[in-house]
Amino acid sequence: MPKQQANWSPYDNNGGTCVAIAGADYCVIAADTRMSTGYSILTRDYSKIIQLADKSVMASSGFQADVRALQKVLAARHLLYQHQHNKQMSCPAMAQLLSNTLYFKRFFPYYSFNVLGGLDSEGKCKGKGCVFTYDAVGSYERVGYSAQGSGATLITPFLDNQLKSPSPLLLPAKDAVTPLSEIEAIDLVKTCFASATERDIYTGDKVEMLVLNASGIRQEFMELRKD
Amino acid sequence: MSIFEYNGSALVAMVGKNCFAIASDRRLGVQLQTIATDFQKIYRIHNKLFIGLAGLATDAQTLYQRLVFRNKLYHLREERDMKPETFASLVSAVLYEKRFGPYFCQPVIAGLGDDDKPFICTMDSIGAKELAKDFVVAGTASESLYGACESMFKPDMEAEELFETISQALISAVDRDCLSGWGGHVYLVTPTEVTERILKGRMD
Repeated sequence: MPKQQANWSPYDNNGGTCVAIAGADYCVIAADTRMSTGYSILTRDYSKIIQLADKSVMASSGFQADVRALQKVLAARHLLYQHQHNKQMSCPAMAQLLSNTLYFKRFFPYYSFNVLGGLDSEGKCKGKGCVFTYDAVGSYERVGYSAQGSGATLITPFLDNQLKSPSPLLLPAKDAVTPLSEIEAIDLVKTCFASATERDIYTGDKVEMLVLNASGIRQEFMELRKD
Repeated sequence: MSIFEYNGSALVAMVGKNCFAIASDRRLGVQLQTIATDFQKIYRIHNKLFIGLAGLATDAQTLYQRLVFRNKLYHLREERDMKPETFASLVSAVLYEKRFGPYFCQPVIAGLGDDDKPFICTMDSIGAKELAKDFVVAGTASESLYGACESMFKPDMEAEELFETISQALISAVDRDCLSGWGGHVYLVTPTEVTERILKGRMD
């Protein structure tokens, strides 16, 4: 009898798109609220964004069951950190924790495509926006902007064109954050989602945006096409 | 590895106010190796009709030769230029003839029809036509092109603005695709003139 292949997969793709943009003193993290399976919509009202610490917000697309499990692990680890160090985790620290958590399951990964956004809290960079982008097994990089998920291939070239982040390979290291104002960045994110919704069937319904800045954190919604 | 991704290509056509633009990248590769950086993917059928062919390069060249032959025959019989809508139907028929052994090409057709009204369309490799009023894309960079065009396109752009828009969309999109790039080739066509421009882009 020839070798049989498994016809059951532990993974599913619930679709969706996430975007984050870092500014001089703010960070915008956005994700659509559609959750799908195959060609069906499970719900139009699902949040893919979680606030992990007072200055760290994570948005994840992919398999939402794995995303939920990952969020639980990170929240628990953050609580432990607070007990041990009597302070909140900084965004770069959370970034490293997320990377390690993902790599821990290198051989049965979290099917989760994450962007972490927040405000830096160290030294010269205090209060500056930071965005970290990941693959499913924890390879990460600090960038000025990022898109993940089903609409990422549609959005990223447009963000390249509008934000033109300098290469991380340049010396001396150039600032990755965009000179755009907070309002302009939010407008840009709305445009990205409107365009992605037109051409990607897994993106739509609503976009949830979280904006972190010195005054705190603000949430905004925008309606998208529901087809 | 898909046969459509063997050579690499990026094609886009956009409609403006009484004009159209059609653009392509310039790379010819054999999987990961780049063979040529000045490869032509857009062909002129007549001054108001252009066809770009994405996909397998050998099939694109053969298909172009067959279409030129059919167009010349048409010209001899009808004593006039073919309308873009007619040409699109011709391409569709030629592709469907090979339904069970297709040409691995995705054409992008752009032309000025009756009263110089701009016409664009694309089709899949077996001739399913897709008419669009705004823009059409094809090639390995098509997803990136969809995103870039959808965000940058406005209806009824004048020739110069249309050129800027299509160039920015093409360059941004191919910069995110390993198999296309090495600059761009843009044709801007109005009722009175055809302008051909080469874009300089990332050379990787």
